[in-house]
Amino acid sequence: MIEMLTALLTTAVLSGGVLAIASVGEVMAERVGVTNLGVEGLISVGAATAVLTAISTGNPWLALLAASAAGALGGMAFASAAVFVQASQVLCGLAVTFLGVGLSAVIGHSVAGMPVPVTFAPVSIPVLSALPIIGPAFFAQNLLIVPAYFLLPALCHWLLFHTRHGLNMRAVGENPAAADAAGIPVRAIRFWYVTLGAALAGAAGAYLSLAVIPSWSEGMVAGRGWIALALVIFAGFRPFSAAAGGLLFGLISAIGFLGQARGWPVAAPVLNMLPYLGTLAFIMLPAVFRRKGRRGGEAPAALGLPYFRSVR
Amino acid sequence: MSRFQRFPTAPARRILVCRAIAILVSVIVVSLLLAMSGRNVGELAHLVLTSTIGSRFGLEDLALFMTPLLLTGGAVTVTRRMGLWNIGGEGQFYLGAAGAAGVGLFIHGPAILILPLMALAAMLCGMIWILLPALARAFADVNEIITTLLLNFVAGLLVYWLATGPWRDRVTGALASTERLPVSIPDLWGVVHWGFPLALLIVGGLAAIMSSTRWGYEVRISGASAGMARYAGMPVRVRIISAMLLSGALAALAGMFEVAGTVHRLQGGMADNFGYLGIVVAVLARGSCLAVIPAAFLMALILDVGIVLQTQQVAATVVLAITGLVLLLVAIADECAHYRVVTPATGRTVRKAS
Repeated sequence: MIEMLTALLTTAVLSGGVLAIASVGEVMAERVGVTNLGVEGLISVGAATAVLTAISTGNPWLALLAASAAGALGGMAFASAAVFVQASQVLCGLAVTFLGVGLSAVIGHSVAGMPVPVTFAPVSIPVLSALPIIGPAFFAQNLLIVPAYFLLPALCHWLLFHTRHGLNMRAVGENPAAADAAGIPVRAIRFWYVTLGAALAGAAGAYLSLAVIPSWSEGMVAGRGWIALALVIFAGFRPFSAAAGGLLFGLISAIGFLGQARGWPVAAPVLNMLPYLGTLAFIMLPAVFRRKGRRGGEAPAALGLPYFRSVR
Repeated sequence: MSRFQRFPTAPARRILVCRAIAILVSVIVVSLLLAMSGRNVGELAHLVLTSTIGSRFGLEDLALFMTPLLLTGGAVTVTRRMGLWNIGGEGQFYLGAAGAAGVGLFIHGPAILILPLMALAAMLCGMIWILLPALARAFADVNEIITTLLLNFVAGLLVYWLATGPWRDRVTGALASTERLPVSIPDLWGVVHWGFPLALLIVGGLAAIMSSTRWGYEVRISGASAGMARYAGMPVRVRIISAMLLSGALAALAGMFEVAGTVHRLQGGMADNFGYLGIVVAVLARGSCLAVIPAAFLMALILDVGIVLQTQQVAATVVLAITGLVLLLVAIADECAHYRVVTPATGRTVRKAS
């Protein structure tokens, strides 16, 4: 029993990391008032870039860096259009998804299906990895797990809720006109945090193609970007909840894997539906059962709205 | 001193000009990238022209591509009028194809009876598929972009499961597909089937419903301002649900046309992004049902270009990247169309005139 739980949690932590990194990044973008629907495309680009870099340089850390840079570049393209030109965020986001999914397949064409020579190898952290169940899951897998679930959300939480800069960020997301009047550079803040979120989406892609499924193939992202977007809402726009949500969905897909491995009498495609159906349930249930004033986690007031200084 | 000023509305002519520039820019960018990767752009351009509008086969292909795009584009346009996004066209397409294939495979009879039955089953399946997101949107304000989208993945897996599992081809043993459907939509012109004129008719009918029925009026008002519609006594929730159901039925009908007119089998992956490309069509059409026709034509042209590029050893998904580029530039162009150069003198005359 303990063995099965350990195996389940280990798989869950491993596959949920993609969602944790990407959704924490998207929390940052949405807190400053921009919905980036391009996450799916940015994860794709990150995954393909990481595999290409890993094959040509043989260094996974360089691959992670390259994937983040590619994500950031995509994010800058999105943010230039959505923040500086103020074009529709929905359209630009969908465009980035199309561009990213299409482009990653083109650049990854030559390495599709090839195993990656270097991956993030498992490293045991002394003492912590000896803990029962959670030890092997969190502290004996690859070195990105601890940053993904603990360091990154902690950093983002501290920045958002315990610094003056974080207060400014939230002001930009809630009321850009007031923030602008107070002298906060609305567009610059939006631009850079959207870019940061996109860089994290790229990093999530590298994590996916180097640690979870160590190869690149078309369609391997399989909607993880959209699940990450749903998680942000489910998590009430809070970094720690977003990372925890990533783990929860990792758990749901792990149950699917377990079912396949143990030969449950359910077809594999049906088991593969679980993460999507789970996301659907978890995005709908809180909305249905929400009581007025009982729960925080409302969306930033200016989320998705372009800010025009001239139109007051 | 003259400066740029943003106007709340953009005149149609200005939008057309800005979009023409956007599309020109995307053509230039794509040609530059192709030239940089060592391909002969002039030769490719010639090939593209002859394989699209320059030959009979090209025109037939265009019509075949346009048929589902007209319907999925129309589907997204209906929800746009309501101020919503149905990003789940892909899933509803799959469900429509599955519903139609189910009827076609298991109910035997003359085509004249079976085909309408297939269409009905398809539309019903599409409506069922969008029902949950529609209810969640109307009653709990759940973001319909994410809910409709997540169901696409479920629908894709469902059709894959049907085509490889319970409905798999036991006769020829074809991989990941059902048997050939016994009935099909009759051909009209070459490989173009009657679905094409029907889809055009449906889009025309949609335009009439939107512009000259009470339902269309109430959907438009609810989309423009839900608060005002509620104040005027319009049942906004019912309109949200009915518009989304209509949208789901249209996208599903595209799936039926595709399975009964073009593919003739239910296969995994058969939606081929038509649902997603419907979003692009609707965006290009800017909420006008009649404009869906030229928008679908443009999108079909891009798909055709993708096929030509595929014969030149470029990955098939390059067409998705091109679409993304066009969409991004069109989004920028639409916003730029709101700006005009205002000099203080004309600024004063504008104020006087209004």
